[in-house]
Amino acid sequence: MGNRKKPRFQLNEKQLGYAMVIPSLILVIVVVLWPVAQSFWNSLFDYRLNDPARSQLMLNSNIDLENYVDNYFYINNQLEDLEGKAEKDEAKSTIASIKEGVNKYHTKLISNEEIKAKVEKVDELLMNFKPVTNPELKYTEVDNDLAADYRKALKSYEEDLTAIAESSSDEEAGQKFQQTADLIGSTSETILESNFIGLANYGKYLKDKRMWNSIWNTTFFTVVSVALELVLGLGIALLINRAFKGRGLVRASVLIPWAIPTAVAAMMWGFLYDGQSGIVGHYLEVLHIIPDASWLLSTSEGGMFSIILADVWKTTPYMALLLLAGLQTIPNSLYEASDVDGANKMQQFWSITLPLLKSSILVALLFRTLDAFRVFDLIYVLTGGGPANATESISIYAYKTLFAQQNFGEGSVLSVIVFLCVAIISFVYVKLIGSELFAGRTK
Amino acid sequence: MKLWKSALGIFLIGALAVFLAACSNSDSTTEQDNPDENTDTEEASDEKEEEVTIVYARGVDTTGSNELIIEAFEKEHPNINVEFREMPADTGQYHDQLVTAFSSQSSEIDVFNGDVIWPAEFAQANYALELDRFIERDGIDMAAYFPGTVASATFDGKQWALPQFTDAGVFYYRTDIVKEPPKTWDELIEQASKLKGEAGTEFGYIFQSAQYEGLICNAIEFIASYGGQVVDEDNNVVVHSPETVKAIKKLQEIVNSDFVPDNILNFQETETENAWIEGKSVFARNWPYMQASSADEERSKVVDNVAMTTLPSGDAGSASTLGGWMTMINRYTEHPEEAWEFAKFLSGPEAQKIAATEGGRAPTLRDLYNDADVKESSALFANPDFVEVLENAVSRPVSPIYPEISDIMQIELSKALTGDQSAEDAAKNMQTKIEAAMNE
Repeated sequence: MGNRKKPRFQLNEKQLGYAMVIPSLILVIVVVLWPVAQSFWNSLFDYRLNDPARSQLMLNSNIDLENYVDNYFYINNQLEDLEGKAEKDEAKSTIASIKEGVNKYHTKLISNEEIKAKVEKVDELLMNFKPVTNPELKYTEVDNDLAADYRKALKSYEEDLTAIAESSSDEEAGQKFQQTADLIGSTSETILESNFIGLANYGKYLKDKRMWNSIWNTTFFTVVSVALELVLGLGIALLINRAFKGRGLVRASVLIPWAIPTAVAAMMWGFLYDGQSGIVGHYLEVLHIIPDASWLLSTSEGGMFSIILADVWKTTPYMALLLLAGLQTIPNSLYEASDVDGANKMQQFWSITLPLLKSSILVALLFRTLDAFRVFDLIYVLTGGGPANATESISIYAYKTLFAQQNFGEGSVLSVIVFLCVAIISFVYVKLIGSELFAGRTK
Repeated sequence: MKLWKSALGIFLIGALAVFLAACSNSDSTTEQDNPDENTDTEEASDEKEEEVTIVYARGVDTTGSNELIIEAFEKEHPNINVEFREMPADTGQYHDQLVTAFSSQSSEIDVFNGDVIWPAEFAQANYALELDRFIERDGIDMAAYFPGTVASATFDGKQWALPQFTDAGVFYYRTDIVKEPPKTWDELIEQASKLKGEAGTEFGYIFQSAQYEGLICNAIEFIASYGGQVVDEDNNVVVHSPETVKAIKKLQEIVNSDFVPDNILNFQETETENAWIEGKSVFARNWPYMQASSADEERSKVVDNVAMTTLPSGDAGSASTLGGWMTMINRYTEHPEEAWEFAKFLSGPEAQKIAATEGGRAPTLRDLYNDADVKESSALFANPDFVEVLENAVSRPVSPIYPEISDIMQIELSKALTGDQSAEDAAKNMQTKIEAAMNE
């Protein structure tokens, strides 16, 4: 019985390979795709943290119980008070009908046992000046039709009362009416409609000139600064790849700009560019490279020039370092052989160094392009996006919308746009690098 | 062998993930535990001695008046301890930190100082506690405060903050050069170009026109002095008016003149102050604090040669933008009564007097300007011109979406000043964009 081995269940090699990478795939999905999906989901809503009517993601109608219960408490009292004040019978009957209407809708609302329990609880908290911190308690879903009707009714009551207030001859009474009208108006705003708006936010931003401007600013900044960094970085890498006295010192000192925190570097450049006392501004002016020292930070073109120069200064060392690593993998024997064949330095550079450095260059460009496209801290500190918004990058725009204005729906749209751009850039580069690195290596 | 290696790798990654998850879990549980413990101890002490600790947040205070105020309060209310939490000096960063804390409904901070432009936003976002019931109960006389300061804390007919100290744009001039300060913007332009260069000055006039919040303050002063408005009392956008266009044109004229620094579009308060105390300009617009730095013998080259007055007038008189700070209470505070006691004290006469005499902060209570100690502490407070400036200060648009309005205005005005668009277009664009933002 034990002699014959039973064929056991076994994965073939391919399946085994997939089984092995599954954990990392899951990791990628959790770490990379989940936040993006979350941003995308947020971007489908008109979602603003600082507006209570839109501070939740709501697919259905909701009611903000904290404010509703608080207002409801006053409405009844104020309406009774007004009934005594009304001069004309007409006004009196309007008030009576408003009271009846509000009561009718309120009864309908709390006919739902669950809502009734919540209303009582919220009322108790409010009586003690306690905030309602539990979102489950604060917001409750209501029937869409009831919400729409109640909202509409409250709006019309507001109009009725405002009309009475305006026609009232006694100013004090008029003010009382107006106050109640405002109260009812703000109550109607506690009944929240769904803020799901689908792709409308995207439509808005595709037509937004400011968005396209910031994309253009970012692209221009990225292309120019990365191109300059590549040329300068390659030069520096070639230099520090040679053996000469004090090479260690030069290699270390070249890295200094890269080691300085960007915010500090930006502050420093701010002083250097200053139109009154900045030394960079002064010498560029003396050399007639720029019209005058104040051109740098107070004109649109000057602002862009300034951030590109500061960025090139800051990140060229990084580029040089990546290229230096590539240079060191090129075997010396190739140069020796070409020497024997009688090639000059230029020919060696074009036929040996560059082709063998190609994949290093692509990797360095990939890192730098992605980095430059997300540029934020340098611009935020140096120009804040000004002057005339000429240096606003897409990340700055997203930050302003998300954090300064608390508009999470629209801010998420911008984040998704940044993500798409970055994804396209990396896709293109990975295609290029992939075909380069694996050319002739696959099977 | 290879298989083993990759299996080991996966195991390690898995272990790392579990480890990380464990870490973050334990973090969050300790965080959750702590406040509970705090409230436990607080509740326990409540029963014994009824002692309560409230947390008060405000920006960096270098004058030391803050500690004196807290001391005075604790003496008066032995059962309330005030813990001071220092926040960033940069108003924007301070705002973003508060908003982050409040949007997660944190009860960590009880009382805080808010910029004059925040009440509407914080009210709508449900971060601030409305104070009407407290004000009525304790009979606080709101008419004793300057009207502008009260108005900027009123939103939806409710009072969301108490004015604590105030600030308004003022006009500085050099007494050794100028005989009679200019009454109108046109006079300013005339005098500035004539007097520029005298007594070692380089510029005629300096003010704030970089693309940031200060630009709005300066622009509002021009707009209001020509009779324009951004948002009217009924929340209608009225910025596209002949008055505003005229004001922006005047602003352009000054920016493009030869008596302002070439990099005036880069000037914020610091640049203005530095140039001013170096004696580089004949006239300047800044907040009242520059009076103190002008008189600082260590830094200033213009000691005793500086005087301040109201800003020049346009067609509709002179206008100053209201700045300053408010006392607000966190809606999610666990001690509303004690927080109110402290907020009331902070904005009351006693604390405002300490802030004025020790910290040089302008009181919001009108009567304090008749107080002998306050008058003595600073020439500014004794100056009737200054009190008049405060009385007539105009607030920036009171709106829950103020940050967005400010953003729109900064961009459009900056474009007008760099010459990228005309004054007419700037007014028109502000009108349509602010309207669109409000209707959203």
